[in-house]
Amino acid sequence: MRNVGIIGVGYTPVFVSKRKDVNIPEMISEAVDAAFRNTKLTPDDIDAITFGNMQTFEGVNMPHLWAADHMRALDKPYMRIATGGTTGMSTLHSAYYHVASGLHDVVMAITWEKQSEGDSQVGLSGIVMPEAMVMVQHGMDLFGGKGMGAMGGGSTGAAAYQAMSYLHHSGADPEHIDKMAALERSNAALNPYAHLRKKTSVADIQATPFISWPLRFGHTCPTSDGATVAIVASEEMVEKLADSVAWINGVGCATSDPATGNFIEGQITDPAEQEPAKMASAKAYAMAGIKDPSKEIDMAELYNGFAHQSLMWLEKLGLCKQGEAHKMLDAGALNIDGELPTNASGGVFSTNAIGASAMNRPAEAALQIMRKIEGGHQIPKKIKNAVSHGWGGMFQYVTVTVLGDEPRHG
Amino acid sequence: MQRDIAIVAQAQVMTDSIDIPRERMLFDLVKGLFDKVGITRHDIDGFVLNSNDFEVGHTIANVFEDTPCGAYMKDETHVEADGMWAAQYTTMRLLSGNYDTALVVGNSAGSSTFRPYLVMDYQLNPTYDRQLGILNELSTAALQAKAYMAKYGVEEDEFNEIAARLLRNAALNPYAVRSKADATAGDVLASDYLYEPLHELSCYPFTDGACAMILASGDRAKELTDKPVWIKGMGNSVDTYYVGERDLATSKSARMAGERAYKLAGISDPAKQIDVAEVSAKFAHQEPIISEALGLFEEGSAGKVAGEGLADLGGSMPVCPSGGGLGAYVFTANGLVRVAECVRQLKGEAGEAQVSGAKTALAHGQDGFCAQHNAVMVLSTEEG
Amino acid sequence: MTFEMGEETREVQGTWDISTYNYLVNGAGMKLLVDSMKEKKIRGIKCPQCETVYVPGPTFCRKCYIDIDEVVEIGETGVVMSYAVEMADVRGNPLEEFRLTAMIKLDGADTWIIGTISGMDWQDASIGMRVKAIWVDEPAGSLADIDRFEPI
Repeated sequence: MRNVGIIGVGYTPVFVSKRKDVNIPEMISEAVDAAFRNTKLTPDDIDAITFGNMQTFEGVNMPHLWAADHMRALDKPYMRIATGGTTGMSTLHSAYYHVASGLHDVVMAITWEKQSEGDSQVGLSGIVMPEAMVMVQHGMDLFGGKGMGAMGGGSTGAAAYQAMSYLHHSGADPEHIDKMAALERSNAALNPYAHLRKKTSVADIQATPFISWPLRFGHTCPTSDGATVAIVASEEMVEKLADSVAWINGVGCATSDPATGNFIEGQITDPAEQEPAKMASAKAYAMAGIKDPSKEIDMAELYNGFAHQSLMWLEKLGLCKQGEAHKMLDAGALNIDGELPTNASGGVFSTNAIGASAMNRPAEAALQIMRKIEGGHQIPKKIKNAVSHGWGGMFQYVTVTVLGDEPRHG
Repeated sequence: MQRDIAIVAQAQVMTDSIDIPRERMLFDLVKGLFDKVGITRHDIDGFVLNSNDFEVGHTIANVFEDTPCGAYMKDETHVEADGMWAAQYTTMRLLSGNYDTALVVGNSAGSSTFRPYLVMDYQLNPTYDRQLGILNELSTAALQAKAYMAKYGVEEDEFNEIAARLLRNAALNPYAVRSKADATAGDVLASDYLYEPLHELSCYPFTDGACAMILASGDRAKELTDKPVWIKGMGNSVDTYYVGERDLATSKSARMAGERAYKLAGISDPAKQIDVAEVSAKFAHQEPIISEALGLFEEGSAGKVAGEGLADLGGSMPVCPSGGGLGAYVFTANGLVRVAECVRQLKGEAGEAQVSGAKTALAHGQDGFCAQHNAVMVLSTEEG
Repeated sequence: MTFEMGEETREVQGTWDISTYNYLVNGAGMKLLVDSMKEKKIRGIKCPQCETVYVPGPTFCRKCYIDIDEVVEIGETGVVMSYAVEMADVRGNPLEEFRLTAMIKLDGADTWIIGTISGMDWQDASIGMRVKAIWVDEPAGSLADIDRFEPI
């Protein structure tokens, strides 16, 4: 199998609630330009481009076509990927396969979201649109809580049930969620590309009210405007063009049925189980030659829309045994200077331009491996292997990318 | 290409308006395909789905498509572009060596759910073009038709001849939703103008439908079918979004997409080496623009091609024996349908529309206003 | 005359009118369910191959990928798979009354539903506790025929 590496990353200068100074193509082109600057490549060096976002959030269909000029995509092979919350990583995987197929050598993956220009509520409710209406027609009480239904967990939705189930099965306390939240926000404070960058203590998190116990206001992620671009290259082109590289050694993705919102045809998937995480990571680890991730993986970038998910994903991705994650948190192992630095970037929990969120994870892992982190969250220890993870859909999609400092085959 | 990849089998379902849920349409189609080939969903290593959020009215269009397509607890991803890109991405995944068998499914309920023209409106630049309301799918296509007419001195009648030919071909296609066995240019002329010079019968019909295909690598493909259709080359390219900055009478991106596919496939003279072409034309006038860009006919030759029947079933360069986009145009999935029609031709399963002795076929897909984005695949009965 | 990039950014509005969509959705499973609820019963569909019981029932089993239509009745009692307590709205304003809601797997079903649990202190809730459905006096064939759940 052809070896493919990430040779560069570009971010918009900031990830914030609302970019009022640029429109969509302008905003994304900032990240494209940053990627060129960081790699010293030019558009002529790019053989093909992949592009992803969750288009209903801005209300623009096929935005890659409108943005083609700004993406420097004219006259190039160009492809659009969209898989909900995992879009960022699926778009990277598409770029990976463009190269792994042998057809292209240097490919740019562009991911982004500018939710401030749309209506996130409409975008989100659009996931269950006809099914929810059928349920309401049949007497489901959308907000009052009466009757037999499929909507619950208040404004955190099924994430609250997932958190409760995680606490129960792992033996962690609600305070561990507060602790993880404070850790990641403090990490984000060191990351110039994070959205929520205020250094945060456990007390600060605990001062926020519970929305749906055990989840607090302070456990939820923001919505951000921003873009993330990665450039991938074949082994031959890495040698020619790059001064550093993070090799994509394993990729995997898996889908279950919609865990919520498919009420009209029965919901069998437990949103706390996350079976696809086990499947996708197993595939990625096998491809990367990782036999025991709990020993061989040096850092993790996990897709956590809610703070408890960092702990949950560590277990689901085999980075520790069930029930161990919160103990590692207590022992300081998940800190930037710990044995398994987790979300040194602050995670989705601190920055969430949703189409880019699952790209930020491998992008950050790549920058960590290449030791090109701008800001104070560079992990001090040497990273040989990193796992990055994406999550989305109706609690149903998981993508995993395992990166390494050396390519897979000698 | 670093591995031999073939299309094992295809299945299509098309109607002018479905009366069953989309998910049911998908299940019936894909299950039928698996049964036909003699496999189960567990034999598929990777699923690539293809649909459009705005068209299906669902954020994350594939959320409810996974289980009907057999992807429950499986490796699945989703391309949001014309189906030709889903076919190309599926091929790339197989080429990498990570997958040996894959399923690609494109679908749309664009007729019954939401009007394709409106879906296209949402592709407009939201800050200017959408606000002005002058540009839309029909008005831009009309501009494109006029550009070709002005540049090459062609009359509307030539386009009507093309439309009539496609409607006659569609009558031989069991999947077409609109056809007329004895259609003439006069029939097309007599149909309402939707936007001069576009007539109702020279524009694509709204179609609900789906297309599913199983792809596999070398030996696996030969295990699953005794008539694998080999993918010899593919490519795609994109033009500027701004229609005012393109020469609408030609298509640079179609030409470049073709060149990329031909290079991989070893095609130096497409007009001679391609036996049959399935081109995605949403409007009759797009067929000559795209076919000429693909090197199948001389530039500006729509009149000559129509007059001499060069693109007819029995002509020197048969184009869209299926009836193409005018017989049925499944929004988003259409490019996949063109591939499927090439598969029928190369497997000798095209019935009365069979181009005799077809060995090499070209499938084309497009996206965007006036075909801003174009993709091409070259298929063959010959391995290696 | 020179051209200068304007510093002024203007905002323009657009709409995405999903209210004009016409969806076709599978109604069979819901109809079976709400019809049964009129009788104070709960019915779903079982896959004969893997024996998964879906409520509401789909027309095909997503695991075995076959058409299914075997009607089965499930119980009105079940177990709490997980629960949460709504304490504030999305803006952080505290609710007057906390609401205990749960993912409930009714006996005999492999699917779960959300229900509100009344008649207990939320602090006493636990995963694995058993609950039962409390019907309204005169069910009308609707999801609201079950008023709430209570611990047993």
